[in-house]
Amino acid sequence: MASPTIEVEKRPSVAELPVPDRADPATTVSNVPIAPLYTGQDLARLGVTESESVGVPGQYPFTRGIHKEMYRGRLWTMRQFAGFGTARQTNERFRFLLEKGQTGLSTAFDLPTLMGLDSDCPQSRGEVGRLGVAVDTIDDMRTLFSEIDLERISVSMTINAPAAIVMAFYLAAAREAGFDWHKLRGTIQNDILKEFHAQNEIVFPPEPSVRLVIDLIEFCTQQVPQWNTVSISGYHIREAGSTAVQELAFTLADGIHYVEECLKRGLDVDQVGRRLSFFFNAHNDVFEEIAKYRAARSLWADVMRNRFKARDESAWKLRFHAQTAGCSLQDRQPEVNLMRVAYQALAAVLGGCQSLHSNSMDETLALPSEHAVTLALRTQQVLAYETGVTNTPDPLGGSYFVETLTEQMRRQAEEYFERIDQQGGMLAAVDAGFFRREIAEAAFVYQKSVDKREKIIVGVNAFEEDEHKSLDILQIDEGPEEEQLRSLARLKKTRDNRAVERTLSDVKRAAERKENVFPALMEAATARATVYETMSAMAEVLGRHETGGLS
Amino acid sequence: MIAQTATPRVVLAKIGLDGHDRGVKVVARGLRDAGFHVIYAGLWQPIEAVVQTALDEDADWLGISLLSGAHMTLVPPLMEQLRKNGLDHVGVLVGGIIPEKDIPKLMDLGVRSVAGPGTTIPEIVQRLHKAEDHESVEDLIRRFRDKDRRALARLLTLASRGQSLDALRHELASRPTPRRVVAFTGSGGVGKSSLIGRSAELLRSKNRSVAVLCCDPESPLTGGALLGDRLRIAKPADDAGVFIRSLATPGGQQAIAKNLDVMFGLLGAFGFDTVILETVGAGQGDTAVREQSDVLVVLLQPESGDELQWEKAGLLEVADLVVVHKADLPGSDRMAAQVHEHLNLPGARPIPVLKASAAKGQGLEELWAKIDEHPG
Repeated sequence: MASPTIEVEKRPSVAELPVPDRADPATTVSNVPIAPLYTGQDLARLGVTESESVGVPGQYPFTRGIHKEMYRGRLWTMRQFAGFGTARQTNERFRFLLEKGQTGLSTAFDLPTLMGLDSDCPQSRGEVGRLGVAVDTIDDMRTLFSEIDLERISVSMTINAPAAIVMAFYLAAAREAGFDWHKLRGTIQNDILKEFHAQNEIVFPPEPSVRLVIDLIEFCTQQVPQWNTVSISGYHIREAGSTAVQELAFTLADGIHYVEECLKRGLDVDQVGRRLSFFFNAHNDVFEEIAKYRAARSLWADVMRNRFKARDESAWKLRFHAQTAGCSLQDRQPEVNLMRVAYQALAAVLGGCQSLHSNSMDETLALPSEHAVTLALRTQQVLAYETGVTNTPDPLGGSYFVETLTEQMRRQAEEYFERIDQQGGMLAAVDAGFFRREIAEAAFVYQKSVDKREKIIVGVNAFEEDEHKSLDILQIDEGPEEEQLRSLARLKKTRDNRAVERTLSDVKRAAERKENVFPALMEAATARATVYETMSAMAEVLGRHETGGLS
Repeated sequence: MIAQTATPRVVLAKIGLDGHDRGVKVVARGLRDAGFHVIYAGLWQPIEAVVQTALDEDADWLGISLLSGAHMTLVPPLMEQLRKNGLDHVGVLVGGIIPEKDIPKLMDLGVRSVAGPGTTIPEIVQRLHKAEDHESVEDLIRRFRDKDRRALARLLTLASRGQSLDALRHELASRPTPRRVVAFTGSGGVGKSSLIGRSAELLRSKNRSVAVLCCDPESPLTGGALLGDRLRIAKPADDAGVFIRSLATPGGQQAIAKNLDVMFGLLGAFGFDTVILETVGAGQGDTAVREQSDVLVVLLQPESGDELQWEKAGLLEVADLVVVHKADLPGSDRMAAQVHEHLNLPGARPIPVLKASAAKGQGLEELWAKIDEHPG
């Protein structure tokens, strides 16, 4: 009996296909049509005025940048995301990067830590230290930053569901090492909403998750005044397949929700607003990206000044970190990724970022090797010191094309804000699966256009080479997992377990009473409670978010 | 011998902790459009749960997505579990970030195909051709009598495809039927799957076994379907007392799958105490679901605005029970009162109106007390 087969469109091998023509009609990466020419008439039609929409750098609405001098005054921070294995190994990588001229640190935690687990949880097997550094307790945090002057180097930590616990580890570790909280600078991502939209590192249900975000914002705004209390992130939304406008709109909508929650708690909008930061993707389409950053700044300035009535100008300013698009990197001809990253980094700088991570060429294959990460950092240094793009703020300001795109994106983002409001606000839209559906649809449309060669990816569906050249990639073996398990077991034997139990029951009580849990988290951290123990204490009260689905 | 002319069933899942689901979702959509029945099992799946899903769903293919680099830790136990459960015939496809040097190792473990970055949907479709099937109905029925779960899963597939119906009906004629067949229906987003998940938990706590049939529409164009409901029905990975099966319903007006009576019979004869049927938002006046079930539960949720949309849905008229779900939302009391007013006119058949919330775990006991006391 014949086994039936599925009818498929026969796809010729790439070698048989002609070199593609230019796409017609021209569209951006996000499938936005681009006109053959932009002139002053486009600006007039959209009502873009030099005085109001464009403005000047350093002044409301900050379309052209948040500083008067931009990079003439100070370069962006070159901040490479790093972390693998044990805290000891990552500490070595941090010090390597600082020696190479990096000016800030950015910490990648491993999946168990991101999911609020310990290295010895059964679900963690095979994942300890693999995609980031394993941190179970405050002692790991101390090792992670040993011999690094935390009053001089700013530190970013990418962590969300357990953000408050990890921040408590950091602050308690800094205190034990003798640093002054008022001098600490850095950022904790602490953005749970985009996890529900896109990234899926979720532990608690939406409502209590947001409450924890606000607990951290409240505590750090008051006690660690130079710390960025949240990094409202579009990066992951874009990586999950959204368009540029969705990235822009959903990120700012998340920001609006956090501010609303802060105000409900009685926090001061100026105080809170000054310490909010943002994180965007830098994708392939140079002008679409630049327009996205410019639109983001002016939309946020409007929201903070006019909707939330902030009076302090620094609360109007959208400060952002950018990372080049991991999802744009290819495993075929991986060295070509160097060029992609360079153009993406250029877009981020022309768009006025405050800090930047440039991906390494081998990141589709593994965590970056030292060679690859050095080249990625050098890419930023060439941009900063050789290309001259830093010589004047917002060099593309006034361009018919860029100003038109900027205005279009502003409007489309505002349409999304309305659609979210119509569904009953942020949490109702999360619950209805709105964001996930929108993003999945965009990702599918994009993949289809690549499969059909309507969008060309060099080395993948055009200009392919027969010979598959591979890079020397970083190998992470089982060693760190075993080392981490040993040190965790040792700690659990030597710490004062009664103090751990007492402080954890305080955490639970604070959660039950809906008080700010942060002070209790500090005590638990100091008592050497682990990430998982602390998360479990909170989960008893807050519940766990069970599913991660299609919609 | 059973001729395999029907749509391949593909289970897709993510194992381990990594939450990157862009790839697996794109593949799910693409396979649906290519005519497959795709069952998406969701994120963070324990290996035991994936294996049981493949078993209960009678999967032809199992697609595993991994972007965390943990594949050499997680795939070997997966393959071993599949073998132990007699699922050697299920083709395993591993997708994600897989270094080239690991591909031969995975193939040695029995993985049928590896799809790394840059693999297109048409390429994946080409790889998932249908394996031949050599099992006879007689053999399957014999194994079914011996409580072979895989035989049950295969027979459900036959029933859903309208194959060997006479043999199945004959076999089931003198066998026990489920104590209760309960249909849950209501529009999309009302929370049917989560309420069913909570119901299953409750029934298990009373030591009652439960089978859930989730209906989702198939595309009238390609015959493909994307079946994602089971992922909202949380259950312990190793509990044989819960059976979840996704069914594609034919395109068009029908809200439920074909030959449900045979499927209920199979589940009852196998020993399931209660069968829950989840149907897609039943359309206006579609009451086919009524005839198939002992108890029909219609779910509503509090709506904003004064216009009562549910008045238009003829379904309320045939409901045995109405549940105002998401009862923690504002407006639920008002809605329950209005529905009660509307349905319980003097002289009419009394229809209980209850409130429940899967999220808060409220109203479940009351709901099932009413279901059990209903004359059916």
